[in-house]
Amino acid sequence: MSLMPTPRRDIAWIGRANALVRYGVLIGVGLIMLYPLFWMVAASFKPNHEIFGSVSLWPRDPTMDGVVKGWRTGTEYSFATYLLNSFAFIIPKVVLTVVSSVLVAYGFARFRMPGKQLWFALMVATILLPKSVLLIPQYLMFREFGWLDTYLPLYIPCAFATDGFFVFMVVQFLRGIPPDMEEAAVIDGCNSLQVLWHVVVPVIMPAIISVALFQFMWSLNDFLYPLIYLSSVGKYPVALALKMAIDVTEATAWNEVLAMSTIALLPSLIVFFLAQKYFVEGITSGSVKG
Amino acid sequence: MTKGRVLLRGVMKSFGAVDVIKGVDLEIAPGELTVFVGPSGCGKSTLLRLVSGLELPTGGSIMIGDRDVTCVHPSERGIAMVFQSYALYPHMSVAENMGFGLKIAGLPKAVIKEKVAKAAEILQLTPLLDRKPRALSGGQRQRVAIGRCIVREPEVFLFDEPLSNLDAALRGQMRVEIARLHAKLGATMIYVTHDQVEAMTLATRIVVLNAGRIEQIGAPIELYRHPANLFVAGFIGSPRMNFMDGIVEAAEADAVHVRLNAATLRLPRHEGDVKPGAKVTVGIRPEHFRVGSAVDAGDDQAVEFDSVIDLVERLGGETLAHLRMPSLSDGVLVVKISGDIPLRIGTGLRVGVRLAQCHLFDADGRAVGASAARVAAVAA
Amino acid sequence: MYDNRVSGYLYIAPFLIGLATFTLFPFLSSFLLSFSDYQLQDPVQQARFLGLGNYIQMASDDTFYGSLGVTFLYVFITVPLKLAFALFIAFVLNFKLRGIGFFRTAYYVPSILGGSVAIAVLWRYVFAGDGLINQVLVWAGGEPLNWLGEPAYALFTIVLLRLWQFGSAMVVFLAGLQNIPTDLYEAATIDGAGKARIFFTITLPLLTPVIFFNFIMQIVQAFQEFNGPYIITGGGPLKSTYLLPLMIYEEAFKYFNVGYAAALSWVLFLIIALFTIIAFASAKYWVFYGNEREDRE
Repeated sequence: MSLMPTPRRDIAWIGRANALVRYGVLIGVGLIMLYPLFWMVAASFKPNHEIFGSVSLWPRDPTMDGVVKGWRTGTEYSFATYLLNSFAFIIPKVVLTVVSSVLVAYGFARFRMPGKQLWFALMVATILLPKSVLLIPQYLMFREFGWLDTYLPLYIPCAFATDGFFVFMVVQFLRGIPPDMEEAAVIDGCNSLQVLWHVVVPVIMPAIISVALFQFMWSLNDFLYPLIYLSSVGKYPVALALKMAIDVTEATAWNEVLAMSTIALLPSLIVFFLAQKYFVEGITSGSVKG
Repeated sequence: MTKGRVLLRGVMKSFGAVDVIKGVDLEIAPGELTVFVGPSGCGKSTLLRLVSGLELPTGGSIMIGDRDVTCVHPSERGIAMVFQSYALYPHMSVAENMGFGLKIAGLPKAVIKEKVAKAAEILQLTPLLDRKPRALSGGQRQRVAIGRCIVREPEVFLFDEPLSNLDAALRGQMRVEIARLHAKLGATMIYVTHDQVEAMTLATRIVVLNAGRIEQIGAPIELYRHPANLFVAGFIGSPRMNFMDGIVEAAEADAVHVRLNAATLRLPRHEGDVKPGAKVTVGIRPEHFRVGSAVDAGDDQAVEFDSVIDLVERLGGETLAHLRMPSLSDGVLVVKISGDIPLRIGTGLRVGVRLAQCHLFDADGRAVGASAARVAAVAA
Repeated sequence: MYDNRVSGYLYIAPFLIGLATFTLFPFLSSFLLSFSDYQLQDPVQQARFLGLGNYIQMASDDTFYGSLGVTFLYVFITVPLKLAFALFIAFVLNFKLRGIGFFRTAYYVPSILGGSVAIAVLWRYVFAGDGLINQVLVWAGGEPLNWLGEPAYALFTIVLLRLWQFGSAMVVFLAGLQNIPTDLYEAATIDGAGKARIFFTITLPLLTPVIFFNFIMQIVQAFQEFNGPYIITGGGPLKSTYLLPLMIYEEAFKYFNVGYAAALSWVLFLIIALFTIIAFASAKYWVFYGNEREDRE
């Protein structure tokens, strides 16, 4: 900011220089951040000795060795088993989360009832409640149920809207939608469940997709719960299989472990790139609109 | 003394490949309230932002007072601006909002306080000084936004559609307040609006913009009486002027004969620079039609036509009648008449029009000549 | 808005059942367990009441103090750094530049993947003795460091992993930035405020609600960090990355001291609760709620 008039050519030049600096920062920081990922992908196709030797990305002797051996894993199961295991509890988990979150959010957002404020406050409080304080009694409870070494403890709680974050997300989304359409449906003769199904669900589809995507990602990354509930290797999801792989192959077959890691990240990456806008909408709905 | 004068020379602005302002020359005299008016997208707000310095022109120069401010920072131009959304800082009190500019300028607190108090008194904001913007009504926020400008004692006030967020009643009230403020401060003001009522009532001069160009500049009544082209004729005046297609039959020294559907009008014109056979457009404002008896029988400057009533909109004091007049046009013409005349849809109505009040535009939309009446008025 | 309270309660019934069964009941149980000597392998009935025994033991447990110290160190380094970094990147990504959408996507990728075990595994190799970081250091002419073996550095690798996942905080900041009307910046420009001034007097105050939100979320998350230390360092070396959640896990599922673990988990809960309460109580002094909904009228 100067008192003197600046010739216009300078202004255009400063604008371009500014943009250049910004691009520079963006590209530089971005490269540093993403380099480990690129390195991991590249390492999957390198022979072991080459991984230690160089910073460079491009394999000198590209080989599928790491990928093939990694897929076979050091155990009696192939990586496919672990992937399927992951999906075996993630899919019910996602479905149950979506259904229960939408029902509960609809109740909170659209019904007047005594005690609602208290329940809603409790729900928000559960978002902030550290999970480790619940971990041990939950474990004991599921042990009593005889659910250890099954997937049930991983997804049954989701049927009861235990992830307050998702309920909150849908409630926030619903609050942003005027109830006119639903009132029109009531006048057309729908009961509240029909309104929910025919009017609300289609309208809040973006929020539902966000919930499903986040739950999918987080469950894929979920480590602690499978770790305490699952004991047979044949039931391990990807997360546990990877941890097992580094314990077994420590310092020997880097390319195998890194190849497995790359494969393990693929589902998340694919889902993210297919539906990235829902992630951003989902995260921001809870914070800014609120 | 050129304090408060604004001078634009060949101002152009492009956003990428889109030319928003295509060369504007304009001089605004000190103390004038100039209104930029035009349809949305005409560039009126951009032109204001160029004056404010929030946008820099791609060509041309801008002077405020005696200074070339083309590339001067907005805060150094001696301007102040009222934004459409008011742009009050939501986390600051009314007093802080009004004094923010002075605080940045490093003025002592006591001086800021005094200036803010003075401006608050002018705008009757004194009891609200400690409130936050969210605790104010729309009209009060509007006044704070104006107060923020007054405190800066600018050479030029800029208003960017300041009333568009208010309801109709408040809008009328604030319009009067702005007019009073202008009278009181005597400062140069530039006011952007798309509402021609605001433009007509507030302006010393109106600048009609369309597609990045000035269509016409003039006092409100001048634009109303003598629109320079079809665009201005259609834009100024409500309801809109009726347009009828015609062909020139003959051109005399002081009149042009125009053939409409089934009638020929002899329009008094000082200069007849249209050739016989040329396509033209005749414009008549709805309020310039008279119903039957209202036309003087002996007036040879008036003509009468038969019409059939198509639709009636009663506004109370006056009535808009949509009429079919096959002799003039294939379409429906809107006529504004007194509210106490009984009208029935489907019945006939005889209406008259004074030829001196008809407008004539050539095939390019430019107004043809000046009507004899105007020449007479100028001569007198 | 329906007035039918019966249907209302029917809709939120799943939540109420879940709240009672999977949250409140375990929550109170762990409180009771924290006063017992319960061992994981025994039937629950054999638990004996110890009174404050576990808490007294904790008071003289050096491992606990070490873990507590490391946890605070970790949280106090990670949260401010992550918020500052997220805000900085959000600020840069808020510029109107061509192709900015591409950068926004790219910058979000680490957050999508970061929670994965695969990334923790990758981290272990990136910071290994002959891993990527040391290769870069050597290539740049520096000395390789024993990242995972040196107590001074090991915690740093976990901090870096979580910093790397700044994306969700960044997206929230970005949305907050985009919520600030450009008019305000323009008005401030006309008022003569420079770029830095605008940032500190307009942007930051208006951003306090999202700063508050991000702060709470990051604090709660950071205190619960488990995957990083468990997979990358195993809590070592010399317990320099032995965060409280890891200690709770090991006490319960490795040493079977459920009672003691429950007591530890309650201490962790109380710490998080205390921070949250302080944050909320202090909010009225520094968080500005503009409520744009009213402004829009």
